[in-house]
Amino acid sequence: MSETQSATLEATSLDVPWNVVVHDDPVNLMNYVTWVFVKVFGYSEIRATKLMMEVHQAGKSIVWTGAKERAELYTQQLQGFQLKTSMERSSE
Amino acid sequence: MKAAPTLDGRIRIDLESKLDWMVMQSISHDALAVGVDLADRLGNFLGEEALKGDWEDFVRPDLKQGFSEQLEYIEKVLGALNVDAREPVFIVKEDAEIWYGGLNQARLALEERYHFDSENPETMSPGRRTAWFRSQFYQMLQSLLLDFLMRD
Repeated sequence: MSETQSATLEATSLDVPWNVVVHDDPVNLMNYVTWVFVKVFGYSEIRATKLMMEVHQAGKSIVWTGAKERAELYTQQLQGFQLKTSMERSSE
Repeated sequence: MKAAPTLDGRIRIDLESKLDWMVMQSISHDALAVGVDLADRLGNFLGEEALKGDWEDFVRPDLKQGFSEQLEYIEKVLGALNVDAREPVFIVKEDAEIWYGGLNQARLALEERYHFDSENPETMSPGRRTAWFRSQFYQMLQSLLLDFLMRD
């Protein structure tokens, strides 16, 4: 593989969007999870509540998708608020 | 123990007995009474193994420090109280997140340790039941903080 091909593949790989996923747990209060989504992402109360309900009912929710660096930052912030958070490559 | 919002926008907690005092002092104890600390438990959930290297180096220390500071602050406030004079605990808006975080650490650790689920407290062993009651008390305080100080 040439250097150019390798660099292109790496750049493509870095461009793949990442999902930030919040998982349900039996401790964090529903109002708190909504409050965290508003605080971290600046979402409206309605959007934050919808995502919180998805976490609660489906067991997890993709709360943000985008560049890896930003996804890592959001993941760290959500963990700082003690929410179970993971990152995964987006399939979209 | 009584806990309620005040007209000047604080939460006031009245410790009416030594038992109340012990419950408040249990916040840090409960939060730390699990083999694996909270930062590591959250890290175990991160996902892809490839992400864990950077997380270990850069995120974990920050999380550990942040969680420790919450508990240290709570211990400092409680340690400065005159218990014999039944001095109340006041929580102001600026400190609400710290208190909420400390209480949450305690509840997460209790759940990790006891897995209460929807178990009936009447059928629990005495030690388990007192842990369940502490968890319920912490949750009640968290709701007060959230409703009256954290949410605008």
